[in-house]
Amino acid sequence: MGRYVLRRLGSALVTLWLLATIVFLVVSVLPQNIGRRVLGPFALEEDVVRFNHTHGLDRPLISQYFSQMRRLFTLQFGDSYQTGRTVNSMVFPALLRSGKLALLAFVITIPISIAAGIYAARRQDKFADRAVVTTGLATSSIPEFVTAAVLMSIFCVHWKLGHVYAASWPDGTSIIGQLPYLLTPAMAMVVAYFGYITRMSRAGVIYGLQSDYARTATMKGLSKGEVMRKHILRNALAPTITVISVQIGYLFGGIIGVEKVFNYPGLGRTILDAVNTKDIPVLQGAVLVVGMIYMVSTLLADVIIAYLNPRVRLETTR
Amino acid sequence: MSDSDETRARDELISTPGADMLVPNPMNSMVGGSKPPAAEVELSGEVQLSERQQARRENWRLIRKRPAFVLGVFIVVLWSTCAILGDRITPHNPLDFRAEPHLTPRAKFPFGTDDQGRDVLSRVMAGSRDVIKVAPVAAVLGVILGVFVGMIMGYFGRWIDLVLGRVVEAFLALPVLLVALLAVTTLGNSTWVVIGVVAALFTPIVARTVRSAVLAERDLDYVTSAKLRGEGSTFVMFREILPNVSGPIIVELTVRVGYAVFTVATLAFLGAGPQAPSPDWGLQVSDGFRVVSAGIWWTTFFPALAIASLVIAVNLIADSVQSVLEAS
Repeated sequence: MGRYVLRRLGSALVTLWLLATIVFLVVSVLPQNIGRRVLGPFALEEDVVRFNHTHGLDRPLISQYFSQMRRLFTLQFGDSYQTGRTVNSMVFPALLRSGKLALLAFVITIPISIAAGIYAARRQDKFADRAVVTTGLATSSIPEFVTAAVLMSIFCVHWKLGHVYAASWPDGTSIIGQLPYLLTPAMAMVVAYFGYITRMSRAGVIYGLQSDYARTATMKGLSKGEVMRKHILRNALAPTITVISVQIGYLFGGIIGVEKVFNYPGLGRTILDAVNTKDIPVLQGAVLVVGMIYMVSTLLADVIIAYLNPRVRLETTR
Repeated sequence: MSDSDETRARDELISTPGADMLVPNPMNSMVGGSKPPAAEVELSGEVQLSERQQARRENWRLIRKRPAFVLGVFIVVLWSTCAILGDRITPHNPLDFRAEPHLTPRAKFPFGTDDQGRDVLSRVMAGSRDVIKVAPVAAVLGVILGVFVGMIMGYFGRWIDLVLGRVVEAFLALPVLLVALLAVTTLGNSTWVVIGVVAALFTPIVARTVRSAVLAERDLDYVTSAKLRGEGSTFVMFREILPNVSGPIIVELTVRVGYAVFTVATLAFLGAGPQAPSPDWGLQVSDGFRVVSAGIWWTTFFPALAIASLVIAVNLIADSVQSVLEAS
């Protein structure tokens, strides 16, 4: 098990290095004047030159590349062009607030969608199954900001059940007290991610229901519920866990739109502010942090799956 | 435009008298016969062609019978018509017309008017243009690049596959929307930047699918015999293998168009796309959502619904194509 984790960790580091290289290339691949781009067409040439010099943009690309890599592996993403603060001090507090919203969304999504997957699998190809699968396909294909805008119109404005400004709670409100404010934006994400996870758990359970081990377990006299809990779910969960871990990466893309609609001061707003002010280091930092979160979550998923299923870990250590 | 034309051309092909007669039993295994035995190929290249054509026609017939596909095509054709004809069919001019601002939906303005008194219905109709232009181009470009990369990975294998595989994995870890925002910020707000970024981010996803399809074909007899005939790698990859992996590629293309609509619409909402006074859907939602709290929901709701309908329609098409092609 330990060797398996080490190997996975090593390959994750290689991927991270490539990821950072791609991000570096996106910014530097085309010959262009970043100072001119940030300061605009009407800025004085000497200001542009000074800007490029202060931020080290006039150095050779290769030396810029190495300092970028050094920043990545020390987890210091440099300084913002606009506020003069470090990127870390802007990205991480925002990330924490987004994480709160994301966590709430997942706490609601995971049990609902696994239950829906089991329900649909038990009634495979009947009307209820079709309804669950089609609804999931439809809702998961709609962009999160669309769902957020529609939910806001209906729940927060028409029925006045939620809050249009998601972070408008009074200072010192406990985390429980904040829940009603966060619920509608979280629901927008639940609608978006429910479909995928349901589809995976449904497929896993259907596969399990048709398997020999499920038949053996039924024939040795276990009840339906016991077969499901002790045998099928344990196996069906593996692909579901993988999908959930992949969703965590996507989530930080979709959350930008949701946060914009509900005016929530999370990572999404930090990113949009950085887009508007052309604050490239903040954007780079945000992309790298989200990429790291994605890799840590897929790594964790693989470890959990290996833990649940000895076949996986033995096969890959060989 | 090309969407509806293509569909019509195919429909005509399929409904030609006698075309259906070629396939006497609709459920027979012609579909699986896309790879004839090597002997037959040597006798005449035409046999192979017509069998493959038959299989394609059969698949098309099955796809067309699905209600989900018909509904999806109907919605896509509807929005494409709006995109092509634009202000020639909108009740009012989407950009210049002025009435009272923020009128509630009523007989004269079924979707109400926006903050500048423009007719929301006209703007929703005209606003399909940007998405319908940009998303398919980005998807097609991404698929072409992805087929190229995936073909090379699968066919050559070894270290090329290993190195490219790592790069693909790194790309998959990138949050698509975030990288697109970063690129638009540094490279500018043009349509081509959006197309290029979306295509580049789709390339590795397509490449992974194509690679695994090619791996399954690489060691089959027809590939070996082509190599023994002395054909070059390019010929074997694109004239021998490519036609046999066209199924997964078509599926991937339809799925990618759906994701492209999703991504382009979201980017427009986030400000990385068409700018005012364009009637683009994402931009309209972005302009409208701030006044929803004041009870003015129609300037946000209708363009949002339009985005949802187009994305769902494309996904219905993709899902129908996928279930038929993967069953065969």
